[in-house]
Amino acid sequence: MHTERDVTRIVHSWLRTDEHESADRVLDTVLELLDTTPQRRALWSARRITDMNTVAKLVVAAAAVVVIAVAGYNFLPARGGVGGGPAASESPSPTPQPSPSPSPVAAFPPEGKLAVGLRHATTGGGVPYSFSVPTAGWTSNGAYGIDKSTGIDADDASFILWPDEAPIGVFADPCASVKAPPIGASAAKLAAAVAALPGTDLVSGPSDVTVGGYPAKHVVLTFGEDADCNADGQLAGEEFYLWYSPSEGSARYATELGSTIRVWIIDVDGAIVWIDGETFKGAGPGPEQEIQQIVDSIVFE
Amino acid sequence: MDTETVVRAQRGDKGAYALVATEIAVRFLAVARRILRDIDLAEDATQQALLTIWQDLPKLRDPARFDAWSYRLLVRACYAEGRKQRRWAPNLRLLPMDESIVNDGLNSVVDRDQLERGFRRLSIDHRAVVVLHHYLDLPLDRVAEIVGIPVGTAHSQHHHAMRALRAALDADSRTPVREVI
Repeated sequence: MHTERDVTRIVHSWLRTDEHESADRVLDTVLELLDTTPQRRALWSARRITDMNTVAKLVVAAAAVVVIAVAGYNFLPARGGVGGGPAASESPSPTPQPSPSPSPVAAFPPEGKLAVGLRHATTGGGVPYSFSVPTAGWTSNGAYGIDKSTGIDADDASFILWPDEAPIGVFADPCASVKAPPIGASAAKLAAAVAALPGTDLVSGPSDVTVGGYPAKHVVLTFGEDADCNADGQLAGEEFYLWYSPSEGSARYATELGSTIRVWIIDVDGAIVWIDGETFKGAGPGPEQEIQQIVDSIVFE
Repeated sequence: MDTETVVRAQRGDKGAYALVATEIAVRFLAVARRILRDIDLAEDATQQALLTIWQDLPKLRDPARFDAWSYRLLVRACYAEGRKQRRWAPNLRLLPMDESIVNDGLNSVVDRDQLERGFRRLSIDHRAVVVLHHYLDLPLDRVAEIVGIPVGTAHSQHHHAMRALRAALDADSRTPVREVI
């Protein structure tokens, strides 16, 4: 047992340890953006205009319109991400096309919006493939996932594509972070383990499907009250682990109670390609359809 | 913060604001990282806060209150980033596979792990109160002013947060991730 004083001391100490951040990158970006970021004038300073004659007011007003228009134009594309230029993401230049190189691109789509109508190259467990997105609004996180967020939870959807290594096992006790032994590269066994994941509600599967011309197992899970490790009505992400990959040591965990995860485990000539897509509580058919359309668009190189 | 430099920045002097931003950026990033527990989100929050401060600086009537006012904007930026974190960032996590467990007192791996877990379970509001109070050593009435809540609420949130962290520390110590043999 820790006393109150212990806890205060521990928290105090913990907050002060081992974090040595460099703000250089943030600072560089901010200073660069100042030129295109106008200050918002206070209402009280705007009163100064009353001291001017009519012509001067018109000149100032016209100038203000120009400034606001320019500033507004500059602001339109602004996104909050570190390192992003003010207009880079929405410049009139065409969205970068996938490389026309015939050799497979063993990489994930770069961070940013995924253009509709283009093929997006990636790998799944090291196996190269490409996919397309059915509608605008899908973005890549540049590392392992793509998502579509409209700001309305029920309309959101997301994927983890496991580009480097496919999961090899599930968690025996998702709340206690206890792993079951690794299963290996068997789509059928992996799917069976997913379907039996403790604390989840199996919606369907494992069923046999085809993805990109290859045989696959498909499982659909939801997260109900049994997945609530803290019995507090929430599903704190780090508390409920689902499946894990080998050497890179990554683990997927659920987002919230009521969300649904659809898993495709594809056997590409003995290599496992794993895709899991998530929709959220209250989702209508739209997000699910988009997830299915993306999976249906997959073409292996 | 030097009030004269803040006033110059208020009048649109970008050079002056560069000085202001340079002085506060590291501290802001440290606070954001401790609240959000994620360096990428912390950088985004810090960047957004620094830009908002620049934009809204002319509206700050009393430059002497710059510190409290700017921290408020940082905490708001953390709220915004925290909402993104809930949806997307945490779904895939690197696991501490071979972390040794040595209970060597207050700074043990077990304590840190338990604290991390307990802290992540707190809302961003509660985290902000804990970080501002225990990391920046601000009294709770000042924390309340920054966060924009009544002083009583700040005390209540602090009490709740510390009780939750105490419970986390008192929970059975266990390896964060271990394999069944």
